[in-house]
Amino acid sequence: MSQGIIDELINNLTKLPGIGRKTAQRLAFYILSMPAEEARAMAAAIIDVKEKALFCSVCFNITDSDPCDICSSTTRDKGRVCVVEEPSNILAVERTRSFDGMYHVLLGALSPIDGITPDRLKINELVERVKAGGIQEVIMATNPNTKGEVTARYITEVLKPFGITISRIAYGLPIGSDIEFADEVTLTKALEGRREV
Amino acid sequence: MLSRTEGIVLRSSVFGEADLIVTYLTTDYGLVKVFAKSPRKMKSRFGSSLEPFTYSKISFIGKEDANLPRLTQSDIITPFYALRDDYNSFVSLCEILELLMHFLPERDPNAGMFSLLHKLLSKIRPGEGNELYYLYCKVRFLGLAGYLPKLDACGRCSKQTLEGAGGRFYVSHGALICDACKTDGAAAITLSQSALRFYLSFMKWNFSNIDRVKAPAPLVSEIAGLIDAHIKYIMSRPLKTAAFNGGKGPLKR
Ligand SMILES: [Zn+2]
Ligand SMILES: [Zn+2]
Repeated sequence: MSQGIIDELINNLTKLPGIGRKTAQRLAFYILSMPAEEARAMAAAIIDVKEKALFCSVCFNITDSDPCDICSSTTRDKGRVCVVEEPSNILAVERTRSFDGMYHVLLGALSPIDGITPDRLKINELVERVKAGGIQEVIMATNPNTKGEVTARYITEVLKPFGITISRIAYGLPIGSDIEFADEVTLTKALEGRREV
Repeated sequence: MLSRTEGIVLRSSVFGEADLIVTYLTTDYGLVKVFAKSPRKMKSRFGSSLEPFTYSKISFIGKEDANLPRLTQSDIITPFYALRDDYNSFVSLCEILELLMHFLPERDPNAGMFSLLHKLLSKIRPGEGNELYYLYCKVRFLGLAGYLPKLDACGRCSKQTLEGAGGRFYVSHGALICDACKTDGAAAITLSQSALRFYLSFMKWNFSNIDRVKAPAPLVSEIAGLIDAHIKYIMSRPLKTAAFNGGKGPLKR
């Protein structure tokens, strides 16, 4: 067997976060031993996610249908919107099963020093959603670090004139961390302990 | 090699999955970038110590010439968290930090800069009303970096500025230029008599006495505008932080 094709696979796997050369080798040989059907399905899933994934035009979640499943759900509470920095944060909050409202993904956080200004984020889009009516509460679930706090404060100011309830998740989240890495219990407590801002 | 020093966090940038690259201004090494493993995980031992403005005792390990040593310890001395909790002071301080990072070379200790930054963080209170401190530090940092605007004499013939005569500041020269030396066409900012007099006297003050300076707001903003134009010219771009409107009201949209 040519060493070339397996090397090619190993090199590609090392591009994934947290995968070093050793792990990549192990994964490559595992893939080699997989039934062809399974390997094909895995490869197809990777291609699908690149070719079909798009941002939901309402909440900016990653989806393959626009609007996304959450935005088009008929059973979820449309009056409450949870604001997060990244699409992966939605998965983290959904895992808690303690929130059945809608989401809004900012696609980042404000950072003066990096030149990330409000117009670089989906803040105007959030304001438009609130303006359109039907939203009673916006829950700021940006990360409990400086950028996330500044972003939450900024949005709170922008949304003040609309007279809706604005709350901030607080309890249990250590400063400097990222909600993507919070376990379900910590995040559930944070949601329950949200305070109005 | 293990290095121990004290430093102030200027910036933390996300690196990979859960790691950070932290830029410190340290007492012993000047500007240092270090790699911090997994601080974004909830149970990280670094806690909040890598957030901007935090002053801590740190240790990092790496070869002398390694460009990214690994942070092994950071124990907070003063968190200065109130300053980043306030939108106003946060944005204004970020402007100062951006200036520092632009002009300071890495690994070049600068006791003057460290001490001034530490004094600034210790002195100001969250909220507005710190404009004089920010202005003073910006000018001092420019001076320490060798980019002080020349306002006490003509940039060409060195003729002393007449006491309170005002003048025209040419951004391309970073200096006032007298009428006899001036060339047409170059962009210039007219500086009023009173603003120039205020500036020349203001820069003779010590940092610790700035709260005793009484200056009318229009003079301060005239000088601040000139300094910002000067910075924009020497950086060939405005400070990124400038888009935040100096923290004056978050609603610039
Ligand atoms: Zn959606
Ligand atoms: Zn002259």
